[in-house]
Amino acid sequence: MTDAQSELTGTPAHAGVFTLVITGAPYSSQAPQTALDFARAALKAGKQIDRVFLYGDGVHLASALLAPPSDEANLARAWADLLTEHQIPGVACIASALRRGLVDESEQKRYQLPASNLVAPFEIAGLGEWVASTASDSRVLYFHKGA
Amino acid sequence: MSTPKRTLIIIDQAPYGSFEGREALDMAFSLAAFDQTVSILFSGPGVNWLRKGQLAADIHQKSVEKNLAAAPIFGVQALLANAADCELFNLTQDNLLEQVELVKLTPELTGQFNHITFAG
Amino acid sequence: MAPIHTLHILNKTPGHQRHEACLAALGPQDALVLIENGVLALAKGLDTDVACYALMPDASARGIEDPASEVTMVSFDDMVALTSAAENVISW
Repeated sequence: MTDAQSELTGTPAHAGVFTLVITGAPYSSQAPQTALDFARAALKAGKQIDRVFLYGDGVHLASALLAPPSDEANLARAWADLLTEHQIPGVACIASALRRGLVDESEQKRYQLPASNLVAPFEIAGLGEWVASTASDSRVLYFHKGA
Repeated sequence: MSTPKRTLIIIDQAPYGSFEGREALDMAFSLAAFDQTVSILFSGPGVNWLRKGQLAADIHQKSVEKNLAAAPIFGVQALLANAADCELFNLTQDNLLEQVELVKLTPELTGQFNHITFAG
Repeated sequence: MAPIHTLHILNKTPGHQRHEACLAALGPQDALVLIENGVLALAKGLDTDVACYALMPDASARGIEDPASEVTMVSFDDMVALTSAAENVISW
């Protein structure tokens, strides 16, 4: 159904494409786990996820250095596996990431830092990636820290 | 064809004590830079972003007062503030930044937008 | 399922400013989904006229098993369906 049609009938077209924005950090909020369970359910229902965007404290989810106890979920690993399996772009906001010590190899070189720690397939990019999703027909869903 | 998004970014955290509001402003300015329609609503303790006379140098932060004053020039459509919260924090026409429109957070207000979010 | 104008996803405990702001912003054609700590509204009692859902795994985790009859317990699959069907979604 096109948008024009949905306006006429009063029933909106069901969203088929989602963008997930995660702003809550792993191990200090439930947000990354909730988003992961939502993503699995969405993919199972045949929905497409065009992009997962990490913003603010959410960028910690893309750290290769998370080492939770073995009886707890490794959220960075679980997310990286899901993105890889379904070929979903994972993007950590560059401004959020650099401030919080999350860098890829090119940023490591640029700022002459002793290490890089971005877990594949996550990439570092600007807010323009998020703007692109919001400007598209994608249903943008946010996962913030609870309280 | 895409339905154009009318975005409302809500800032409900007070300035300086947390980073969330600053990252919310970055979101708003990014949308504006890409010619997307965006307004900002300050609510709860977030209304304190709108107080005149912020001097943040001594806590080693940048004051955002100038950025906010320039928001309309950057293409941000409106700076909205929850009237009741302004009253709670003693923000009046005397000490409130110019160009701020006082509103009430109701379904009528949120209904004007089809993409509403916080930064965190 | 009646058409949903705005689906409000609420993950804050009652008393949190965003919990209260969410309740104030509920319109007549809206629906509310309680997730994470938001489900604690069921322990306290929730007074709203809109369609209300609660994410079962979050309610179970917090020992909330027998909510008021006006609240529908949902799975993540249901939450996907709700977020797809709504015209707009706000995560509080």
